[in-house]
Amino acid sequence: MKTRKSIWLAMFLLVSVLLAFGATRSGGPQTQQDRIDLVTSHLACPTCSGESVFVSRASAAEAIRTEVARQVGAGIRTDDEIISYIEQRFGSEVLLVPRSTGLDSLVWSLPAAVLIIALSLLVSAFARWGRRTPGAPSVADEALVKNALAESTRVGDES
Amino acid sequence: MGSKYLVKIVSSVVALVLVSLLWVLIVSKPSDGQVARSPLLGQPAPAIVTATIDDQPFDLQRRKGSWVVFNFFNSTCVPCINEHDLLVDFAKREATSDNGAELYTVVNDDSDDAVRNFFTKNGGDWAKLKDENGAIAVAFGVARVPETWVIDPNGLVRIRVTGELSEGLLEAQLDKLREEFTS
Repeated sequence: MKTRKSIWLAMFLLVSVLLAFGATRSGGPQTQQDRIDLVTSHLACPTCSGESVFVSRASAAEAIRTEVARQVGAGIRTDDEIISYIEQRFGSEVLLVPRSTGLDSLVWSLPAAVLIIALSLLVSAFARWGRRTPGAPSVADEALVKNALAESTRVGDES
Repeated sequence: MGSKYLVKIVSSVVALVLVSLLWVLIVSKPSDGQVARSPLLGQPAPAIVTATIDDQPFDLQRRKGSWVVFNFFNSTCVPCINEHDLLVDFAKREATSDNGAELYTVVNDDSDDAVRNFFTKNGGDWAKLKDENGAIAVAFGVARVPETWVIDPNGLVRIRVTGELSEGLLEAQLDKLREEFTS
């Protein structure tokens, strides 16, 4: 039993360490092509439906890819600034990942809020059900039990 | 908290969200015909340095002081072909008026020869600008042609018209702007 507990504890520690490492490690140096691919995969092709600029072969997507490559090559703007530049020209429809500010932030916050509310309601419902105790027997209940006991005693005496 | 209160709260929240959506639909401005919105409207025009298909240099910065009209064009695009006669009339009108606008075709994903042949056949002697790799289209946020943009003498973007021009639209919009600009 003790060995099993130790194994579980070791596994828990290992998973925690791996998760912490995965969450905090830096991505390391990126090549220019990595940055171009990353930025274009966050942008929607303005003339196609559901395709990113990264995968689309449409001429508008190719033009955006070329512009992103030019700006990455120039090294003046960060990835976010390049995405903002394209957004300022084509509008927010061009963003595949909604922003975390303004009305777009509802996309992120609403599901979390709904989850928290649903969990709270569930916890409160379970707590309510757990507290529920049977009420005291009524006079009619007591009479029923008394009659049943008397009946069983009578049947026992007769036999 | 009783379930009755919970139902009331949830219903109120749902009703509030629905009313908010309805309000957004009511107050949002409808598109004014073909005149479209753009984050660039009222902003300085992107810096455009290119050449015409006849290899003449072009720098938008040097056109300050003039009204500039950019028409994004492709010789195989049907709406571009359809609106061409209107543009020819517009160019003639502007050439003879005081403070007339300069019209430029921005060639979008098309060969110089195809554009040259189109204009030889259909008329239009204004400058046709090369757009290497679609850089000008991206700078203006143009995804589909035709699109027509107006830049004022201060270099600010003033009008964006998406799709095929309708008769008199460009003239009316430009006259209105010119009036506002001089008053």
